[in-house]
Amino acid sequence: MTETALKAETQQIVVDEVFPHAPETIWKTLTTAELMGRWLMMPAGFEPVEGKHFTYQTTPAGAWAGTIHCEVLEVKPNERLSYAWKGGHADNAGYGSPLDTIVTFTLSRAEKGTRLRLVHSGFVLPKNETAYRKMGEGWKKVVMNIGALAGRED
Amino acid sequence: MIQTAPITTVMRALADPTRRAVFEQIVLSKEITVVELTRASTVTQGAVSQHLKALKQAGLVAERPEGRNVYYRAEPEGLAPLVDWMSHYGTFWRERFADLRSLLKEIDP
Repeated sequence: MTETALKAETQQIVVDEVFPHAPETIWKTLTTAELMGRWLMMPAGFEPVEGKHFTYQTTPAGAWAGTIHCEVLEVKPNERLSYAWKGGHADNAGYGSPLDTIVTFTLSRAEKGTRLRLVHSGFVLPKNETAYRKMGEGWKKVVMNIGALAGRED
Repeated sequence: MIQTAPITTVMRALADPTRRAVFEQIVLSKEITVVELTRASTVTQGAVSQHLKALKQAGLVAERPEGRNVYYRAEPEGLAPLVDWMSHYGTFWRERFADLRSLLKEIDP
């Protein structure tokens, strides 16, 4: 599988909201362990320093103990924070399956505060390589329709 | 809860472009017959039936016989093995953002 094909077939989650606060205040909530623990999860060993390794503890699933292994990739105070987010186990399908992703927070000035954009990227769907290669363009459409189906199920 | 097929079965079922097109057609319609599916497809009714069989086995499609017709509909649970993890995080982050909003209000009123 080529690198390009892999990129084209990975999916990302984007949450983008404006908060009525200064970037410096939001930055603190993204980079201070105690504050992170109050809205996200309490990290173990976190420091806003590139190359720093830390973990989050979440719900275990099967052979996976629920530990998210992270590594700080980029720190641009009050602008951008990015870290690797890895976990899961090959024996799991769905929740708890292998995950090799990147979480990026980007802050930018907005009219009434700060825009915080979260991109959680690198979700590889599916894991089966042969099937994966063949999925091609159809995949995007399938994923789009999954949203409609999930809505109908609620 | 309906037993979901393993991820590889689901993927194998969706790997074939024609079968995937059949599946997408079913997703787009509420319920559809083989005849209607064949009309929308470039292959024969026999081929469409074979694809339907594979989709049923993968848990992606369910059927409902009525009179002389059989109606097919998409089974959202069939795709669950593929989307569980990702939708978990979709919900996770939206909830976390709501908590962040409350926290910011508290520390910076």
